Amino acid sequence: MYIIDVKNNKKCAVKVKQIEEQDYKTLTKSRYYFNWKTEKENDVYKLVLDENILGLMSLVNDKGDKRIEISLLAVSKENRGKNKRFDRITGILIAFACRTAIKYYGIEACVSLVPKTRLKQYYIDQYQMTDAGWQVFLTGQSMLNILKKYEL
Amino acid sequence: MKKDKLKIKYTEKELADSFVFRNNLTQFQKEESTIQMRLQRKKMENLIHPNEALLFSLLQLKYQIEDYLENSNYDVERSFSYYLRTYLNFLNKKNKEFAKDIDIAETELSQILNQHRKPSEKLFIRLEIHSNKIIPAITWFKLSEKEKEHDILTNNSLRIREQNHVRNKLSFS
Repeated sequence: MYIIDVKNNKKCAVKVKQIEEQDYKTLTKSRYYFNWKTEKENDVYKLVLDENILGLMSLVNDKGDKRIEISLLAVSKENRGKNKRFDRITGILIAFACRTAIKYYGIEACVSLVPKTRLKQYYIDQYQMTDAGWQVFLTGQSMLNILKKYEL
Repeated sequence: MKKDKLKIKYTEKELADSFVFRNNLTQFQKEESTIQMRLQRKKMENLIHPNEALLFSLLQLKYQIEDYLENSNYDVERSFSYYLRTYLNFLNKKNKEFAKDIDIAETELSQILNQHRKPSEKLFIRLEIHSNKIIPAITWFKLSEKEKEHDILTNNSLRIREQNHVRNKLSFS
């Protein structure tokens, strides 16, 4: 899987790994927006280019519903907006959530998130998510499409 | 930076491209959202094609193997034969039928599944082709190598046996 350097369109290989305890010291609100220490009870993953953390995602595994909920996600400050350095970070993290859901639940896998109302349509358009009222979700073919697009 | 400052700095699309915000649903809304989600998923379950179900099963197997390989711990239960047997189960194939699929003798397959024989390179390649590249040959190879690595690290009886074949052993003070 790779992200794209917006300046020169160059592909850069990245990894998604589980966060380690010592990482929390470096996860400042100024760079990653949220207080990530509050997510310690969840499964928190980091997208890294070499050792540099470019994105973070907190997942909740709802075993009863065979569903992974993305409870929090943020890309690092320098990768947001029109002046961002790298593209595809959020897509890869969402694809990784899909991979995790399939690893646990196979064909019944589902990934969901609760969007801010005004942002809902963007998640639907960008990631082919299905509207389920309060939540949007991925399952079946749309999940396969995102795995293919982000090469997981 | 407060959320309203984010709204000034970024467009809505840029926000959706960079964040999933914490949800502030009330308990009632959470329960309502669970019901909505279950209903929608139920509707979509009916649209699943059997071929799609098999693809998901193979991806599930692939991701489980990949994560096991990533983990430095060795697990005697997660052998090459265990994952190969799981592959056959997902395909709902008998040994004889599958051996025919990949053009090996049924006895050879049986020996591999019962850990009486090591898998060969040709098998890794044929498995990759059989799965339509969903599970690459390199994944099967690494799985087999992980077992071999553990065996080399821990096989003391082999060490004792092989001592008899070594002369002029180097000695250092």
